[in-house]
Amino acid sequence: MRVPIVLTLALLAGAAWADDPDAAALSLPGSEPQSAESAKAWQLFAEGAVGRSVVRTASLAEEARATEQLSIDLQIDAAPVAGLRAVLADRLDINWLHRFRQRSEVNTLKEAYLSWQPRDDAIVDLGRINEYSGVAIGYNPTDFFRHGALRSPVSVDPTVIKKNRQGSVMVRGQKLWEGASLTALYSPRLSRAPSSSAFDLDWGATNHHDRGLVIFSKRLSEDLNPQWLIYKDQGESPQFGMNLTRLITEAAVAYLEWSGGRSPSLSNEGLGPQSGRAFHQRLATGLTYTMSNKLSLTLEYEYNGAGLRAMEWAQLPRASLPAYLRLREAAKVAQEMPTRRAWLLHATWRDLLIPRLNLSAMVRRNIEDHSHLSWLELRYHASREELALQWQRNAGEWFTDYGGLPLRSAWQFSYRHYF
Amino acid sequence: MKRRSFLTAVLFAALGWSSSGLSAQPGAQEILAASDAIRNPAHPFGVTMTLTEYRDGKQTDVSTLAVYSKANKDNGQFRSLIRFVAPARDANKLMLKSGNDLWFYDPANKASIRISPQQRLLGQAANGDVVTFNLAKDYQATLAGEEDVLDGDRQKHRCHRLQLKAVTPDVTYDHIELWLDASNNRPVKARFYSESDRLLKTAYYRLYQQQLGAERPTETVIIDGLDPRWVTVLRFTTWVERDVPEVWLQRDYLPRFKPE
Repeated sequence: MRVPIVLTLALLAGAAWADDPDAAALSLPGSEPQSAESAKAWQLFAEGAVGRSVVRTASLAEEARATEQLSIDLQIDAAPVAGLRAVLADRLDINWLHRFRQRSEVNTLKEAYLSWQPRDDAIVDLGRINEYSGVAIGYNPTDFFRHGALRSPVSVDPTVIKKNRQGSVMVRGQKLWEGASLTALYSPRLSRAPSSSAFDLDWGATNHHDRGLVIFSKRLSEDLNPQWLIYKDQGESPQFGMNLTRLITEAAVAYLEWSGGRSPSLSNEGLGPQSGRAFHQRLATGLTYTMSNKLSLTLEYEYNGAGLRAMEWAQLPRASLPAYLRLREAAKVAQEMPTRRAWLLHATWRDLLIPRLNLSAMVRRNIEDHSHLSWLELRYHASREELALQWQRNAGEWFTDYGGLPLRSAWQFSYRHYF
Repeated sequence: MKRRSFLTAVLFAALGWSSSGLSAQPGAQEILAASDAIRNPAHPFGVTMTLTEYRDGKQTDVSTLAVYSKANKDNGQFRSLIRFVAPARDANKLMLKSGNDLWFYDPANKASIRISPQQRLLGQAANGDVVTFNLAKDYQATLAGEEDVLDGDRQKHRCHRLQLKAVTPDVTYDHIELWLDASNNRPVKARFYSESDRLLKTAYYRLYQQQLGAERPTETVIIDGLDPRWVTVLRFTTWVERDVPEVWLQRDYLPRFKPE
């Protein structure tokens, strides 16, 4: 009996909206006056995930595996006294294989630093800092501090990768003017070798050389605010960089990220020092277009002048398998492309079918060997919870960029709760 | 460009003359400027904005933003730094708006991403547009008459009806219909349109209260043009006159911003 009454009321309500939507909207209860909420000094979430992946084993057979994961992520950004800011960001990932039979954990101290700001326009920081530069989505040639930063790769989503990485220990100063900014930093060598120990602070991964970076940006017009960078690594030639964005139409933003300088070819890692040094350029350029139906599409072209050409890349594993494996490992640690050119297509679709359901998708294609990575995510977010379903597939011939990865495909379902 | 400025000046003069010629009332552009002054304080300010979203009459979302706003000394248009306060997953994300130069900053990955006006329109923060911007700076107004309209409290209200047409390029709304209280120029209702004459949103300004030296609307009801069942109610509280330093209003300051 109740169902017809509810249906009738729903139909009547619908008719009222159709008759006079303005009057219906104005009769809504409105919002209660909220007190000015102060920003919370911390953010904490826990995430549990279950999944299934197909992996190529050492015997070259494909094996299906059940995976489970628990992650705890904490960020603290507090101001204990006026002018002083204390930042801490840490993430713990616990991974299980084969239905909780094998367990491993990795803790990543992402950031831990103090920031002193005596005036609005002058800041000095000291500690472990995630120094990120770049305007591109998938490949960031000016993100000089990405080398060794990825300790626990939990996703192939470029946004998540940038969030879940460890910073480098440094002292950093910034001076701002109206429409201009100058940043200079020095990151010292603290340790020689990275550590895979679960709770190691892993200084060796991020601080194995003395390094320095200067960033200058100047607003030239309302639409043009380029950024220039000079980076120096101990024993290496200086690297120069530039970031540029431009609004093309009301719905399209174009970007260009470039770096260049004398550096060893990536094949040095595999073949030894005989490859020599040369001036290499790295580049990522693309365009993001947003449609009125909330779909945003980004197409990005990526170029690494120090990477291998198609022929060199194809011949390397035949010439020397150890050299090929060393090169792959070096590229992975440096978050660098092993080959010259790649395409990336990235899409996000907000409120797909129902409000709060977002779709993200990405295809990365290596132009040199035609292998590709496909990734898809459906994420539903409530005020304190998120549910996500992810799918990933690596496709390509053996020894190609994505075909050579042990992971063939994976599904994962995750639940996140913000405290 | 000169030709365009000349035509605009001629148009402005002609319309100003015609509206003042019809009656002793101020011209449409002056009325518009007066209503801008009711919505926006004359000095830099901070305000807390609570957005309650309804779909089909049911509350679906609540978010809170802290807005720091200041008029650009060159063109009079507002520049704003918007901090997401709630919900928890968005806390401390920032948006910088200076004309069409729009940046989104996520403290978790330290990335400042430039976004297009269309991309911004999809987010809730864009609804703030119907409150903190100076229409008289970017639009040419013509007085289309007086009429009784339903106000935000569903009462009949005698209003001036203004037709606004964008005169500066790259503004979000191509043309706007605006109803202002005929006795005191208070904004009552507005309809915002795209270049293709598509209704993008309807806004009702209500709950006038004394804030920062004037009676200002502290609640705005926004009805989506495409889907009228999607309604957002904006509530403005804790207005404060405050300094908004110039260095805050640039991309390179976003990682540095720490609310007091």
